[in-house]
Amino acid sequence: MGNSQSAHKISAHDRAILDMKNQRDKLRQYQKRITVITTRETEIAKECLAKGDKAKALLALRRKKYQESLLSKTDAQLEQLEKLTSSVEFALVQKDVLFGLQQGTQVLNMIHKEMGGLEGVEKMMGETEEARRYQQEISEALAGQMSNEDEDEVEDELEAMEREVVGLPDAPNKTILGEDSLPEVPKTELEREQERRQKRKERARQRRVALEA
Amino acid sequence: MAYGATGQPQPSHEDLPESVFKKSYNFPPFFSPQPTSLTRQAQLKKWSEFIQRYCRHYRLFQLSIIDTLQSPLFYNARLKKGLSLKDAKAVIEYMASKDGDERAEWRGPEKAVAWIWWRKPEEWATLIVNWVEETGQKGTVLTLYELVQGETTEKQEFYGLDTEVLQKSLNTLVKKGKAQVFGTEDQQGVKFF
Repeated sequence: MGNSQSAHKISAHDRAILDMKNQRDKLRQYQKRITVITTRETEIAKECLAKGDKAKALLALRRKKYQESLLSKTDAQLEQLEKLTSSVEFALVQKDVLFGLQQGTQVLNMIHKEMGGLEGVEKMMGETEEARRYQQEISEALAGQMSNEDEDEVEDELEAMEREVVGLPDAPNKTILGEDSLPEVPKTELEREQERRQKRKERARQRRVALEA
Repeated sequence: MAYGATGQPQPSHEDLPESVFKKSYNFPPFFSPQPTSLTRQAQLKKWSEFIQRYCRHYRLFQLSIIDTLQSPLFYNARLKKGLSLKDAKAVIEYMASKDGDERAEWRGPEKAVAWIWWRKPEEWATLIVNWVEETGQKGTVLTLYELVQGETTEKQEFYGLDTEVLQKSLNTLVKKGKAQVFGTEDQQGVKFF
């Protein structure tokens, strides 16, 4: 509501409240006048007593008493009027609160519709779960495949390393040639390639066995 | 205190508060129009400030020039000097001009009575709006009477504000869409937004 154009219009409720408040103001002004009168009557009574005129002093005090009784009645009326005004204002506040709640509820329902309701949410959650599981399978498949390739490369590297280290001829213990056996003749490249293929097949077979187990 | 045509009290010539009646008030040339234009301008400015202080102090919102000529404002009893009607009007005329920051406004073409804006209507409006916001009464119906005569505003500066000045200040808010005045002639109310 705030600064919307409709808020700048004065409603029938506003006019009703204004009427009650104006009535309240009138009563208050009346009370002020009575207070002035009673104060004045008190002064008159004192002046009369000072002059020794007891009868007039008594008369002034009687008038003051009467004015004070009017004041009491006015107090009661004022209280009633103020209670009524406050009740009306509070009722308007309650009406605004109710309206606010209604608006909030409407917005909430609208949001629920946009979300597709409970069924829509459940369906979406189900789909999310399926997609998540599928993704997991894809991850596992990829991990397995790459792992195989990496393993092959690593083992090939190991064999190459072993050849370099183990294949080196030992330092001859004797300086005289011919007395010790000569080192092996190095294998041809073709022979080494054949060995690698054979070992790869063997490792693949072993992995299949492991998976089946 | 005696009462002038506007129904406002005229203070006596005794016990003049020094915060209002400063040194220039006891300087005889202050009461004579100065022939030199620069001095005249300075004199007019001092008179404007004095009149605003005076009206602020005694809570006067308008002045009847004729009624005020014999008051302490325009007549210094100690010096036995005062402004003439013509000179007094000249001062108010200055105050009503742009040069005088429009701190006065003639109430009619005869130029007999003037508003004295020691606080302008829009400045009063600001005080009222601030109070309404501080007391959480935006969107509430308030009578004009309770605004300036009610118990709840007794300690506010705008308490006792002249009814017409109140109307003028509220009108500045209505034009900005910040308030709406409604109700019959003498029983009006206002709602702030």
